[in-house]
Amino acid sequence: MLTPIEKILFILLALVSAGFTFHGFKTIIDTVRKGRPAPELKNIPASLLKAGVTVLFQRTIFKARKALSAVHLGLFFGLITYAFVNLFDVLEGLIPNFDLTYSGKHLAPPAWTIPLINIYSLVSDVMSMFLLIAITIFLVRRFIVKDKALTYRENVLLNPKVKAGGQAKDSLIVGVFVIMHVTAHVLSQAYRLTEGADPFMPFASFLNSIFGASETGMHVAWWVSIGWVMFIIPYLSRSKHTHFFMAPINLGLAKQNPRGQLDPAIPLKVIDGRKYDPGAKVITDLAWKRILDAYACVQCNRCQDVCPANFYQRPLSPSALEVNKRYLLKEATFGSHPDLLLAPLTETVISPEAVWSCTTCYACVRVCPVGNEPMADIVDIRRRMLIDGFEIDSGVQTALQSLATNGNWMGKGKRLRGRWAKELEFPVKNATEEPVEVLWFVGDTASFDERVIPNTKMVARIFHQAGLDFGILYQNESNAGNDVRRVGEEGLFEQLVEQNMAAFGKAQFQRIVTTDPHSFNTLKNEYPQFGGKFEVKHYTVTLLKLFEEGKLTVKNKLSHYKVTFHDPCYLGRYNGGFTAPRKLLELLGVEFHEMPRNCENSFCCGAGGGQIWMGKVAPGERPAENRIKEALSTFEKHPSDKKQLFIVTCPKDMVMYSDAVKTTGNEGKIEVRDIIQLVAEAVGVEEVSPIVG
Amino acid sequence: MNIVVAIKHIPSIADDVPVKGNNVDFDSVDFVLNEWDEHSIEQAVLIKEAVGGTVTVIGVDLIGELDNALHLALAKGADKVVKITADDPAADSHMQAKWLSEAIKGMGANMVFAGVQASNDLDGQIGPMIAAYLDMPYIGGVSSVEANSDSATVNKEFAGGAGAKYSVSMPFVAGVQAAPKPPRYAPVSKVRQMAQSATVEKVAPSGDASSGLTFKKMAPPVVTGHAEMIEGSSKEVAAKIVELLKSKGLA
Repeated sequence: MLTPIEKILFILLALVSAGFTFHGFKTIIDTVRKGRPAPELKNIPASLLKAGVTVLFQRTIFKARKALSAVHLGLFFGLITYAFVNLFDVLEGLIPNFDLTYSGKHLAPPAWTIPLINIYSLVSDVMSMFLLIAITIFLVRRFIVKDKALTYRENVLLNPKVKAGGQAKDSLIVGVFVIMHVTAHVLSQAYRLTEGADPFMPFASFLNSIFGASETGMHVAWWVSIGWVMFIIPYLSRSKHTHFFMAPINLGLAKQNPRGQLDPAIPLKVIDGRKYDPGAKVITDLAWKRILDAYACVQCNRCQDVCPANFYQRPLSPSALEVNKRYLLKEATFGSHPDLLLAPLTETVISPEAVWSCTTCYACVRVCPVGNEPMADIVDIRRRMLIDGFEIDSGVQTALQSLATNGNWMGKGKRLRGRWAKELEFPVKNATEEPVEVLWFVGDTASFDERVIPNTKMVARIFHQAGLDFGILYQNESNAGNDVRRVGEEGLFEQLVEQNMAAFGKAQFQRIVTTDPHSFNTLKNEYPQFGGKFEVKHYTVTLLKLFEEGKLTVKNKLSHYKVTFHDPCYLGRYNGGFTAPRKLLELLGVEFHEMPRNCENSFCCGAGGGQIWMGKVAPGERPAENRIKEALSTFEKHPSDKKQLFIVTCPKDMVMYSDAVKTTGNEGKIEVRDIIQLVAEAVGVEEVSPIVG
Repeated sequence: MNIVVAIKHIPSIADDVPVKGNNVDFDSVDFVLNEWDEHSIEQAVLIKEAVGGTVTVIGVDLIGELDNALHLALAKGADKVVKITADDPAADSHMQAKWLSEAIKGMGANMVFAGVQASNDLDGQIGPMIAAYLDMPYIGGVSSVEANSDSATVNKEFAGGAGAKYSVSMPFVAGVQAAPKPPRYAPVSKVRQMAQSATVEKVAPSGDASSGLTFKKMAPPVVTGHAEMIEGSSKEVAAKIVELLKSKGLA
């Protein structure tokens, strides 16, 4: 189709484009390689293949924003189709008589290929329309409707170029490209329909009916269509749309370890005997996967939507963190500021206040369609801030100092840990002195907090009534260290692990049961790395088993209660413990209603990742308060006179939500209860007043 | 600038403080660093960071566990640590001040810091006594120290929030009430690194002093009854109150 001069021009253009593209992606790969070693990935081809299938069906984006995700799906398939369309357009341009129009009759192809060519014509024609519709919807969403979900809070640290509209510029360029490119391609098809309409190309045939066929028009349209591609491909490597290529790769290389296992503060596999400081100060201190994250992110802000800190008007946006990283890398590698690679992350990508706002609830990582882990960056930044002597919140410091000396964050002496057990009407075994079947790891809040201790005692009474052979570690138990690690105090975490491992070593037990989801998470997912290989269960699982084995029986059905259930982050989202609590509630006979945000999509109470230790409380509606309102509006849909209960299975939740009920003025409307209180009522265990003395 | 910080190891009050005979049962109590001493270490390190110099932290090892506190001081920025191996948990502040003075004497200190008091005896005497033994001026209730070449600008706090600025010529002893910044956090990994690599200099206690006071009797606080909250509707509460009064024979 092309004249010889056109062919030479095209080949020259293609070479220049390929050169820039190669340079673009080589720069990205070199930059990613500047990151630290990440935990080793197993069977990469298989996980890449799995990611390919996920991408093909666009599985991960449908976790949120279903309608927009469908548009994205249209866009995705449109662009995939266009990869082939462009290939064939180039072949048609370069190879004489290569022409797929009218089933490629100029080629006189074998008969069996004709249906294939017809299908291709139809798919590419229809997909062209889909693409135009999808891209128009996205452009309207960003530039006319101005969807707030695409913006950031005023207090979030943003790269100046992002603030000046860098992302919108990228969107506009790609949007205009898609419209021009697709229109030009369809026009080029329309111009070549010299014999009138082709039933397999309705869109092109329609345009042909207006513009007719034209040799010149065909050449011009071809050049506009393909010329744009030659420009846009190298551009993509330098814009947020690197996403097209990096998102599938990133998804294929995403975290393989359990969600609840943090990457180490110092790489386990050291390259060239290099010395690493814990955590991250500058961008190259991050693991290479965290750098890749920045290129995979297209700033859809789904993470921001689910972030409890962002809800709480704190200056944290996981998405802003990723876009700031990419702009920093772009200016350092494609731009003229290589020194930015040595700029502190806390000045360029995330503010210190934002770093310390994260509750480590994992909602951002869970919802991310491309497998990013912004939370991992935040923990690494905390780790280095602690080592570098950055001034930390006084409440956190007090908690850490107490943890270092007393093994608990509440400033209580070690010997006081088992005091609640001494107040029971039966002895609780000391697992370091006599063998037990179940070692109950109680945790700090349940051991020391006066508001929670009655529930702790209730658990003991139920276990006792069910004839469970259990014991506790008394003063030998230390905080399990889950939140200590997530605050970034890796050394203290290791110290606590050592203390607990020593205590476990003294004890004889078959499995560990814990009432605290945070302890549960680290004991289950992180202690194995320190040699702690044991079975760990959450008490909801143990209770359910006791019912199933007939060791506990429901004497009083609790149908007079209307309840909802809050999934604790570290039991639910992190460890998939969704069913046991719900099955228990079903057994107890309560009227149960699910809140809109449940299971994987549960909304954090705001206490995790050290937030409960913070001395300063920020103004604004707190996540826990919002959650109580969510529960109340759920109940409103099922009006009745029944007592309304908010059921929790985490000592921290007990504290957070009881407080939130008070601060939202909803006392009398809703009551927060631990599931153990319902179990006690159903099986007929009354609270016995403590034996004083 | 040569700064010496005298610290004190005291029984922890995180736990119940058990009593044995006429004193604390030292065998069943944990020892921790006196809170005000954390401020004097912070103040010393701040000066070192501002004008350079060395910080030496010295304390009396009462039960053989002072190393933890000394490693913590090193992790926070002290350069040298010394312990006086007394192994006498009952040594009072007069005794400790004497031992500390003897050890500090040869150190050529420009400034000696001590916590303004310690929460075990609350007598605030270690600083003044060191000053007396070393024949140096003493200034207490200090809230900040800025070192100049041979003198220091010292802020002192008075009750009610009033403050005064002093120029004190070196050498001198300061009783630190608070550092200008909250004592920094020492990450456990750094403390452990110090525990592995640092050397703690040992000095034998020398000299004798006595407060002339002896404990006649020490007793744990008497637990009095807690307030009981009566819950329920006003009728229920009233009924319970009547019942209570009846049971006490008052109605």
